[in-house]
Amino acid sequence: MAELAGCYAASHGPLLVRDWAAVPEHEKKRINAGFRELGRRVSAARADVIIEVSPDHWVNFHLENLPAVCIGVGETHEGPPEPFLKAYPHREMAGDADFARHLVASALGAGFEPSFSYRLKLDHGFCIPLWRMELERLPRIVPMIVNSIEPPMPSLERCLQWGGLLRAAIESYPGPLRVAVLASGGLSHSIGEPTMGRIDEAFDHECIRLFSQDQQKLLQYLKDAIPGAGNGADEMRNWLVAHGAARGRGFELIDYLPVPSVYVGCGFASWAME
Amino acid sequence: MRDYWLSKMFYDLQDPAVAAQYRENREQVFARYPLSSDAKKALGENDVPWLAKRINPYLLRFYCFGIGMKDEEFMRRLRDG
Repeated sequence: MAELAGCYAASHGPLLVRDWAAVPEHEKKRINAGFRELGRRVSAARADVIIEVSPDHWVNFHLENLPAVCIGVGETHEGPPEPFLKAYPHREMAGDADFARHLVASALGAGFEPSFSYRLKLDHGFCIPLWRMELERLPRIVPMIVNSIEPPMPSLERCLQWGGLLRAAIESYPGPLRVAVLASGGLSHSIGEPTMGRIDEAFDHECIRLFSQDQQKLLQYLKDAIPGAGNGADEMRNWLVAHGAARGRGFELIDYLPVPSVYVGCGFASWAME
Repeated sequence: MRDYWLSKMFYDLQDPAVAAQYRENREQVFARYPLSSDAKKALGENDVPWLAKRINPYLLRFYCFGIGMKDEEFMRRLRDG
């Protein structure tokens, strides 16, 4: 049977690549260290597959059809289309079609209704953490796109439930797979709106504190505070998916730092496996 | 509420070929979409607050970056008009 190998979370942002030179040296060091530590943990977990949870930044979907959740069931996925990610080392990334289809079937059987895609492009939200973690071997990727870009979005409760669903699907898969969950995005940031550039450190610190507390308090806080923490804070949905997969326990912050030059409150975290 | 056709044009402008054509001759690209005269006027004037009411913030940022507007200028226009 398959097992959950680990749950992880990391921030992303185009400027972490496109304008890396503008990031002050002491922040670069901590960002690199955060990603590398995550990479070390993912490698130590010997994950065969990573379910990576990230938004789609208008790369695969537009207003014609914008799924709340879409799971990539392809044998392969395309590398990032953004010009600033030309140097990303994988133009194509292996998926795990059997496991991904099992995940979709498990979701549908449990009353969740994801869309699925046989061909996804994985944008910077997916690829920056995968790149910066400096993994020697890239596990097969099962992308899970959660809409945190354009309202209305999936509820926070549903995202937490999705985490539980992921775990159940992993544990019911008959193959001997080790599957990790990697949430990409958050913490606070504000893009393309009048508060652009603002990082809400109080929000970020309270989120971090509450990930180690009662789930209902965390959900209530996020519900109340996300609307004032910038539109990028909607990506905390992805952290909730990872948190749900970890049964809401074992959260460990690796590092947090506000990085004004990339507009993002950058966090790196993992959850201890029971 | 989003302006679908304006959004659609911004989405399509992520294609470097369409973006190149837009830089060369905006009107040719406009002609593919039923854009309102107000939308064309806002595009002509880089009226960021007007656009921000009708376009997803991430797409708007992409568009403004694509036409060469620096982030500082984009942020100023978002705040102050």
